[in-house]
Amino acid sequence: MFTRRVLKSAWLSSLPVLMGYLTMGFAAGVLFAGRITAPAVSFWAFLTSATSISGALQFLMSGWAQQRTPLLDVALLTFCLNLRYAMYGFSLLERFKGIPWYQKFYLIWTLTDETYALEVENRTPAGESSIAYCLAVAAFDHLYWVIGVTAGALFGSGVRFDNRGIDFAMTALFLVILTDQCREKCNRIPALTGLGATVVCGLFFSLGNVLIPSMILMLILLLLLRGKLAKKETEA
Amino acid sequence: MNGMTLYLFQLVLVTTAVTLLLRAFPFIAFGRGNRPPELIRYIGEVVSPAAIAMLVVYCYWAYFKARPFSAAYGWNLPEIAAGVLVVALHLWKRNPLLSIIAGVILYMFLVQKVFP
Repeated sequence: MFTRRVLKSAWLSSLPVLMGYLTMGFAAGVLFAGRITAPAVSFWAFLTSATSISGALQFLMSGWAQQRTPLLDVALLTFCLNLRYAMYGFSLLERFKGIPWYQKFYLIWTLTDETYALEVENRTPAGESSIAYCLAVAAFDHLYWVIGVTAGALFGSGVRFDNRGIDFAMTALFLVILTDQCREKCNRIPALTGLGATVVCGLFFSLGNVLIPSMILMLILLLLLRGKLAKKETEA
Repeated sequence: MNGMTLYLFQLVLVTTAVTLLLRAFPFIAFGRGNRPPELIRYIGEVVSPAAIAMLVVYCYWAYFKARPFSAAYGWNLPEIAAGVLVVALHLWKRNPLLSIIAGVILYMFLVQKVFP
């Protein structure tokens, strides 16, 4: 199943992700070690990155742990932040049909934005198993992310350097995702809705409590706009 | 087990469980080839940009609160300049890594050297 050809092609496809995951993971790891005072902080960086494998979440987690954010809030925020993952599987249902459960489990568990993109692109060499290709891509990406975050945490907790301002990596990541999303016209009104809902809720709630009411207001507004937005998508 | 260790353990469980369930949703609910209802697909499409926009506002609000508008913090110029650089560079070059690294370097430089 895992022939040299399929492994090589998966590795070549994963190279762009290598750069991205090592760098973003490193920044997230440095931030994690800088904000959290716990014994074996690098171990926790390793464990959090290996289990949830989610970029933006990794940045938010260090703030949550620092402030001991209630777990219900953590669950709701994780849900909203990662709801997009719930749509990815639809384009892979057919391909993952009938494979052994442990392979399916690993492919689902490791389904990040970048891994999903590579699996949909699917550069499996002719005559090779596309499942082997997907598993290899998923494992390479998983490894890069864990190495990046753990190395960042080891560096951040071991080397003393002026890391003031490195937290901007999280804001920059969100700005980049938002910029990409707003290239597509159909995403602009939803983005404005989220922005407006948060600003409005900001008038009534404190910073620590604003996200949950914002998400509720945002969902209500998006449901009210459904007729309008859904129509626009079919026209486009 | 101290309080932080316990919290981190719970954090791992909650974030992993929620993320894994989301990723598995299509396979659990529609594994037999049913098409998802229109409403679910609609929410899945529109929630992501809205949630990211919400987080951008949240990040900036946190900065404006921690570093109130005043000469001591450079009138919030570091946050605004670095944000503009990230968006402009990303519109131009479309390279996520380049945009993020450039923004972080500019921000770190501004808060450490220019408005310490």
